[in-house]
Amino acid sequence: MRKNALSPRTVKLLAALVVLGLAGALSALAAAGSSPVSTPRLGGNVNVPADKAAAMADRMPSAPIDATAPAGPAATAAFAPDPIPAGILGSNVPVPISSSILTETNGWLVSNGYNLVAVYAGSAGDDPTQGRVVIVRQDLRAGRQTVQIVDAGTTGPLTIAADAPTGAAVETTALTGALKLGTSRGAPMKLNLSTNTVSAR
Amino acid sequence: MIIRKFVWLLSLGAVLVGIAAQPVLASTAPPPVDAFYMYGSTLAGLESGAGTDGCVYATNQPDNQPDIMLVDFGAARLLSGGDDGTIDFSGTTFKNASILLALERAADGYHNCHVKGGVIIEYGNSNYRMSSAGMSTTDAWYAGYDQEQTAEDLAHYQAAHGYMSQGAGAASDMEPSYDKQLITKQLVNGATAQGWAIYDDYGSVDGCPTTGSSDGSCNNGWSVGAVAYVSFHGIALPLPEIYYTVSADQWTVIRKYWDANGPGGYYFFDGVTGESPATAGGLDATAGWNALNSRNSGLVGPNLVCFGSGC
Repeated sequence: MRKNALSPRTVKLLAALVVLGLAGALSALAAAGSSPVSTPRLGGNVNVPADKAAAMADRMPSAPIDATAPAGPAATAAFAPDPIPAGILGSNVPVPISSSILTETNGWLVSNGYNLVAVYAGSAGDDPTQGRVVIVRQDLRAGRQTVQIVDAGTTGPLTIAADAPTGAAVETTALTGALKLGTSRGAPMKLNLSTNTVSAR
Repeated sequence: MIIRKFVWLLSLGAVLVGIAAQPVLASTAPPPVDAFYMYGSTLAGLESGAGTDGCVYATNQPDNQPDIMLVDFGAARLLSGGDDGTIDFSGTTFKNASILLALERAADGYHNCHVKGGVIIEYGNSNYRMSSAGMSTTDAWYAGYDQEQTAEDLAHYQAAHGYMSQGAGAASDMEPSYDKQLITKQLVNGATAQGWAIYDDYGSVDGCPTTGSSDGSCNNGWSVGAVAYVSFHGIALPLPEIYYTVSADQWTVIRKYWDANGPGGYYFFDGVTGESPATAGGLDATAGWNALNSRNSGLVGPNLVCFGSGC
């Protein structure tokens, strides 16, 4: 298929050579006797090792305009709803929230195929006494995503209760329902997903 | 021969355009761009979501630069049958062959809705609990290698479809609290051995020192040197999470440590990963970029990848 055309890698290696050549020439003009290779995306005081320079060139677009005109949003493949029954996430399932923000205890997820809500419970990343939940919401048709952090005060780490809504029957109702939260200090609490608030239950 | 001459001219023109388009100094924060967590429980759902994300990203692109579109597929995993891939945020596993299909839909979506600028579509994963999922250090090496190969395969797809405004790369959310340093380093080693394109570390520096340039300790048995390694060894570049001021301090220590001890080349940042709006007491994405740049002037690239509703 590609016998008569250069591969993207070859094209980008050629581009890298041009970058290096130009950068070297510019550096020589700017500072006689000095020959640092500068990347155009950073300050002139950055020396980029050759292996990184090639890897930076490899990932770059080769031109600002595509070979064919954009067909418009309507040409994008039809949206395919992908419902996910409500349930507690396993301990092996990754958490998208940085550990600097949340030390996670457990998580819960539901999607009706059009809207998705994931809740991660635990404590603040820098203070285990501060209970915290993080709510990730996605509008899957619109490609929009929000991340909301709700702090519960000095409750210690929060845990989503084992009797959280589960199953396909609640894929829509659970999106705006409530989750019981256990605490290591004090009374049990509740997360209201329609208001993004935590309160005593 | 004619094709080769044309490619040369095309490459030269593209490079010159690129140089003209890029800021000489990244002295002001670039506009933040959306990043995406993937929750597909079926391949059709994963592809559909990625296609929508590509179109949304292109529609919202704020500038004429080649910006990074980070698509986070979850944690690196060795799957049954010996295939590399991930477990995504819904708990569903996907082989890299399936992830490539989703990335191709993102490329299609970006092309269909392209308005201005360019995009580097990056296949993101993480080092989340690889060991407890049964992965060895060798498995992690191959995970990094195959991740880079998938990014290169995406680049072939983009080229074959004339998507000249697009490029492809890989990235990993490597966090000390997620797994041990030795197995995490192997992601970078494998990626470097494959060598296609920059391997962005959009991870954290949990528990690392906030001042100095020495090799202090971080969480989970990590050290300053280990974070420096996964973020700057080989083809790795740091695109660090800066959610708090202290994170900018910690990453500055990493940079100073590398400059004092690292082999070959001075440390710099590909940009910043941020979150908007900010968490309580934290920094939004733009403030995060500014905080890092103020401590590392001229060493922070014009990329600002952003999770959240305020990006």
